[in-house]
Amino acid sequence: MTFLLVGFGASIGAFFRNELTALSQKIKWDFPVITLLINIFGALLLGIFTAHVHAGGLLLFLGTGFCGGFTTYGTLNMELSQLWFQRRFFRCFLYFALTYIIGILGFIIGIHL
Amino acid sequence: MLFYNNWGEKMQKIKTFLIIFIGAFIGSNLRYGESLLLKSSNGFPYGTLVANLSGALVLPFLIHYLQDRYHLSSKIILALSTGLLGSYTTFSTFTADTYRLYQSGSWMMLIIYLTITIIGGFICALLGNYWAATRAFIDYAGRRNN
Repeated sequence: MTFLLVGFGASIGAFFRNELTALSQKIKWDFPVITLLINIFGALLLGIFTAHVHAGGLLLFLGTGFCGGFTTYGTLNMELSQLWFQRRFFRCFLYFALTYIIGILGFIIGIHL
Repeated sequence: MLFYNNWGEKMQKIKTFLIIFIGAFIGSNLRYGESLLLKSSNGFPYGTLVANLSGALVLPFLIHYLQDRYHLSSKIILALSTGLLGSYTTFSTFTADTYRLYQSGSWMMLIIYLTITIIGGFICALLGNYWAATRAFIDYAGRRNN
């Protein structure tokens, strides 16, 4: 039954991610700020869930499912490679640094909230 | 974005949700299955790593090659890229794995995991792009010779 918890959680997470990514067409920023915020916020949420949710099933639904489906690593690296091919090396490096540093910090902050 | 004022828009959202649902359900469980299958005694997160790296490789190939090659509709792309590969790969679990390795003092594994995730995923995405370009070129050359 655990696959249902993971699957449903991830579907909701992915839907929210899609809704937010749709906004990036409206924001005329030349930087993948939406994916950045999604990943940071998802890591923060997972930290909070890891610290406060103790029921195994609920943690699978919220953590492995929702947060796992909400955040994405494939799109992150695809956007990084796009910046690289466009020879926007500074932006590429900045996106790298912001995602990984604030992302990991986000999880640590979440776990201590 | 989450508030809809008419019925048509509401139906459209439900449709989008169902399309993403199918992809995300499969993708997340592939990742979950890999994490169970590749569970190691030393606590190294092979599952997350395999899911993330393979997803990072396939996503550019899907977008830059398969989409054009098989004339995939926007719905199929939504299910496969946003749904399946988006949920198959994960960033949040990576941060949790990193923190766990740090907490347990497994410095060597932490450094290896960080390096492979940060550099390896990027290289996989670059390779995915080259793979797509190469396949597209082979198809093009093949058509010209016929």
